[in-house]
Amino acid sequence: MNSAENFLQNKQLAKQANNEPLPPGQEQAQPLQQLLTRPDIWQLASGQGRSRTGISTGYRGLDALLTGHGWPRAASTELLIDKAGIGEMSLILPTLAELTRQGQMVILVNPPLIPYAPALVQAGVQLEKLLVLHPRGQRDQLWAAEQSLQSGACGALIQWQGKETPADKDLRRLQVAARDGDCLHFHFRPGSCVKTPSPAALRLQLKSDGEQLALHLFKQLSGKSGQRVHLARNPDLVRRDQPLH
Amino acid sequence: MLWLCIQLPKLPLEALTRAHRAGDSTPLAVAQSSLIIEANQAANSQNVEPGLSIATACAYCAGLQLLERDAEREEQLLQQLAQWAYSFTPVVSPRSAEREHNQPDNQFACLYLEISGCLKAHHGLRPLLQQLGKELRKMRISHFMGLGHSPSAAHLLSQLPEHRQWLAETKHAPTPQQWRQWISFAPSKLLDCNHKAIAKLYASGIKRVSQLLAIPLSEVGSRFGRNFISYLAQLNGTRPDPVPSFEPPAEFHNELFFPSPLDNSEQLLFPAGRLIRELCRQLQRRQLYSQQLCWVLDYGSRGQQQVNVEVSRPLLDPQRLIALTKLQFERVELKEPVQALTLKCQQLQPIENQNLREDFFDEGSKLNESYQLIDKLKARLGHQALSGVTLKESYLPEQAWQNADSLTLQSKAKGHHLTPVRAPRPNWLLPRPDRIQQRDHKLFYDGELHLLQGPERIDGYWWQQRRHARDYYIARGSHGSLYWVFQDLTSESWFLHGVYS
Repeated sequence: MNSAENFLQNKQLAKQANNEPLPPGQEQAQPLQQLLTRPDIWQLASGQGRSRTGISTGYRGLDALLTGHGWPRAASTELLIDKAGIGEMSLILPTLAELTRQGQMVILVNPPLIPYAPALVQAGVQLEKLLVLHPRGQRDQLWAAEQSLQSGACGALIQWQGKETPADKDLRRLQVAARDGDCLHFHFRPGSCVKTPSPAALRLQLKSDGEQLALHLFKQLSGKSGQRVHLARNPDLVRRDQPLH
Repeated sequence: MLWLCIQLPKLPLEALTRAHRAGDSTPLAVAQSSLIIEANQAANSQNVEPGLSIATACAYCAGLQLLERDAEREEQLLQQLAQWAYSFTPVVSPRSAEREHNQPDNQFACLYLEISGCLKAHHGLRPLLQQLGKELRKMRISHFMGLGHSPSAAHLLSQLPEHRQWLAETKHAPTPQQWRQWISFAPSKLLDCNHKAIAKLYASGIKRVSQLLAIPLSEVGSRFGRNFISYLAQLNGTRPDPVPSFEPPAEFHNELFFPSPLDNSEQLLFPAGRLIRELCRQLQRRQLYSQQLCWVLDYGSRGQQQVNVEVSRPLLDPQRLIALTKLQFERVELKEPVQALTLKCQQLQPIENQNLREDFFDEGSKLNESYQLIDKLKARLGHQALSGVTLKESYLPEQAWQNADSLTLQSKAKGHHLTPVRAPRPNWLLPRPDRIQQRDHKLFYDGELHLLQGPERIDGYWWQQRRHARDYYIARGSHGSLYWVFQDLTSESWFLHGVYS
């Protein structure tokens, strides 16, 4: 929300308080309610009153920790990860599958390896809605991501950071683009980016504790952070059935 | 039926000198086989007239500039004019100039327009004629017009000064009675037949068409032949008078030439916008669309460069097309100054109803947005940077998927539906299997690997030279990552093929 909107809202509130003497009761509480629904005001106490505005992650344990009971809508989510193969895609695949089933486009920008179609279909992704982009160079990559996020035509955009670290200004632009286009934005970045601040609405650090995927809620806009949650991997994968070797 | 005949008497000259400035006063003449065909105003004032021999003309006017007649250009200009006329009415027929040997043109090039169907759209006859005249003057094409109930009548009457004067003042189309009066009043030298026949008519004392019509037809037939009879019938409107209908070409081709070459791709945008607007106007008129805009940047003698802009949906909005073109031109590095810019659209396709209908609903507009996005991405990143993925039927894991054209994105998969195997497959596949280190019966890939599951044997193409026999396992790395590894049964070495991310 920018400062102009802020200003207008404040003005409206002031007007209501001064000019229109409302009968005491629930109407008095309305401006406050209005104020509290703003996303940039952080309410620590009222745990129950939180609206379920997020898009469900498909994991109940993780949903419970997130403010909107799911991935923050129209915002950037940073996933900090050092080692591929610990279940990072399975974390977001249920959401992507749901989006493609609803007919929304999902765009992958610079995936590190080939997205393997049979596995995606197994996860329920509609392949016709999946678009893979391989822009060359940092500039084209950021441009493609920003355009796609802004367009309002795509439901989610998953981006992998290349060799260069995008500047803070670029990250902010992506965040704003995601807000404008009402698009989920997942940004996979290396774990070394933990130290640098980022405008993302949610930052998760992904690690493996050997068996499970360990999530560390690093930053959450208008919500608590610092929690950890462990998510089990698909039992089909980790089942031990004594291989021959 | 109401036919308008637009005669273009100075077409040979205008085809060559249209690019000249308006106030040019050099005497010019177009010549063909030692005869003057056409001369401009400045030459006319010095007695240079069509039909003179070149020697006589040069004697009259010493500074006369002679131009060779270019029939090809003339034809091109006539086609352009036909296309222009097509924007008024769908029934247009161009007719090029005819010429008998060693004579100046007795038949000028002309255009036939059937205008009874478009009177309402142009608020009546008079505004339509004014509009036509105004646009022709703007194009600096000299012309005179005639109106008739058939093309041949219109052609005859266009040469009659009284009719032309009436046409300049009229508000309504004349009655059949009036047609007949005019035609019979016309002198017989205006009839559309060869010189011999006209000389014969005058020799027998027939000076007006009325005299000719008074003679019984069989008599006329025995003297002038069957063709003459049928021409008279067409003139009267008792026999249909077919003319070849103009069919605009199913492609767009236009070129802009820059007198001073452009060396900056940004400068190209302005002429490109002009070409695109012209294209859009033409496409809209004919309800067509193009899937590809093909730009040719001409470097003169140093070759040319082609830039393609792909459009996935019917798009008639010039602004969007210009935006797409801009994205493409930004990527282009001009090797040399550009001398001419050409826009070609070779395959124009009709817009179908279904394409447009869905735009009015939510689903459709969303679809449209994504098509616009794809076009934009394609324009800047190039065709090869976009892809989709689809399933393919194969036993081999690396062949069970393929790149899909991103254009098929939105359409639902039709017909045969493929289902993948039930066994767990990795989300990521390596472009080519990566070798795994093997020491003392242990596997190392970024730390030691522990096999969790397996084997799943995939043995394909044993009937061919290259046999693929593999035992696939799921393995866990030392950092907790899950990998899809296989042992090649022929070479017994281990490879990493996928990552369960």
